[in-house]
Amino acid sequence: MHALDWVIVVVWLVYVVSHGLRRSRGTRGIDGYFLANRSLPWWAVGLSVMATQLSAVTMIGTTGQGATDGMRFVQFYFGLPIAMVILGVTLVPFLHGARVYTAYEYLERRFDARTRALTAFLFLVSRGMSCGTIIAAPAVVFSAIFGWSLPVSVAVIGLPAVLYTMVGGVQAVTWVDVKQMMLIVVAMAAVVVAILVQLPVSPGQAMHIAGAAGRLRVFDFSFSLTNTYTFWSGIIGGTFLMLSYFGTDQSQVQRYLAAKSIPEARTSLLVSAYWKIPLQALVLLIGVLVFVFYQFDRAPLLFNPAHERLVRHAQPAAYGKMESRYALASTEQAAAARALAQARDAGNVAGESSARARLTAADDSVGTVRAAALDLAGRVSGESSRDVNYIIPRFVLDHLPIGLAGLFIAAVIAAAMNAISGELNSLSTTTVIDFYRRWVSDTGSDRQLLAISRAATAMWGIFACVIATYAANLGSLIEVVNRFGSFFYGSILGVFLLAMVPRARGIGAFVGLIAGMAAVGAVNFGAPSVSFLWHNVIGAVTVVTVGMALSVRPARA
Amino acid sequence: MTESDQPDNTDDGRRFRVTLTRVLLVQVVALLLLGWMQHHFSH
Repeated sequence: MHALDWVIVVVWLVYVVSHGLRRSRGTRGIDGYFLANRSLPWWAVGLSVMATQLSAVTMIGTTGQGATDGMRFVQFYFGLPIAMVILGVTLVPFLHGARVYTAYEYLERRFDARTRALTAFLFLVSRGMSCGTIIAAPAVVFSAIFGWSLPVSVAVIGLPAVLYTMVGGVQAVTWVDVKQMMLIVVAMAAVVVAILVQLPVSPGQAMHIAGAAGRLRVFDFSFSLTNTYTFWSGIIGGTFLMLSYFGTDQSQVQRYLAAKSIPEARTSLLVSAYWKIPLQALVLLIGVLVFVFYQFDRAPLLFNPAHERLVRHAQPAAYGKMESRYALASTEQAAAARALAQARDAGNVAGESSARARLTAADDSVGTVRAAALDLAGRVSGESSRDVNYIIPRFVLDHLPIGLAGLFIAAVIAAAMNAISGELNSLSTTTVIDFYRRWVSDTGSDRQLLAISRAATAMWGIFACVIATYAANLGSLIEVVNRFGSFFYGSILGVFLLAMVPRARGIGAFVGLIAGMAAVGAVNFGAPSVSFLWHNVIGAVTVVTVGMALSVRPARA
Repeated sequence: MTESDQPDNTDDGRRFRVTLTRVLLVQVVALLLLGWMQHHFSH
């Protein structure tokens, strides 16, 4: 990367850390540190909610998925707007009106201490682990691309976020999120423009090429429990996942608890309801356009440069043969793409149809060679060989103009920091409010509690960085992050649903929660092919069913 | 809960229906656009 790009990255890092620290002034107690004294406007909370969810995994993993798999991943978010509306009239008024610091604190008021402790503990375990994988996603890619050691990559991405979150609390997190969301959207829009400018065909023709290769297929209306990305799993499973995530996960709940009022908290969630699907479609479209770009400018056979070097050194003959096959297939792919563009220009319907068929066949051939190369890389390196996460970073560094590459890398780090900071802040809140203040001591002054909260943030930051250095080889990073949560999410949602039923009792909530997790565990291990999106439905339904069955009050004498 | 936050059931119900309609409308438009994109460019 050019020196100017590095200057952009460093200047941005210094700016956001100093901005975060500046925003921490005036934070003198835990009400300010955890809830910004309930003073934040809806638009800042709304952007912060979106920023916490948009991690570096989205910037590099989802864009890469767009290049290899097309737009169908967007179906995953179809349930989100529905979930946001439901939350706006159910959990948001309950939690904001209860004047609690954490969602789990509310459960003790409604049920009992053990239900609160178990849900808070599950949150700490799953969020603590997933925070590590969120740092690991860009760290692994950065270490392969820039040649840094993994601990250095983890430190570059993790430490600035830990610093401003530790000092500034939710004020710093929210206002830095707002700034970083702007950078991310600007960087993504700039990348789209840069790709369109460099393409040898018009944007319309680029879309036709992408469509011919199946990259613009959005909808899959088949009903399958094993296929994660279908319309029905998005609408049903996605709604339950989003209800769980935005309604019961402290990293999201804490954002809208900091809003000025219930109406502002509701409105903040609607920002995601309106913008999440278009934003996610834009993210995937970047990947699709990169795919089209590589039709005309041959892509590397392996995008992960570290694996490429390794395979070339260990298996030069086998890899050489694959490269020859790949060169032939990609030359045919480029010819078919040009033929398609020319046929459309000439209005030649028969020529367009034959070019589409050629392009599809060539795309299949390229896919076959690449799958063989990935398999070889996996055997040689002994690591997961999926290099979908390297497609966009390689493209950015090889083909974007000076300045824009730095902007994009800064945006990837920004996205990672947004997700990490929101999660660290919520981990610290749950540790202090649901465990320290509840079970250890509730007599300390506000100043002492603030110091403990900052120490808890630092501790979780270090924990996440340590996990990140080991979570590097866990396979598809997107799925790993979601999988951690899906074991507990649905069941915790079930407990909150029970909380809104007047008849439900503590024993029902606690036993129901355990039954829900057992059901999800049984499905996960007994029928591993069932998509994780359905785990949330299974968990929530089990908790509500068991909880209600155990909540029958004894008849009065 | 502050006084201004006190939910009025009628108002809340009406506001919810308006919000739900808006959100569903935006989503339907987004899905129609995505459907058009798939149909127009893939065939």
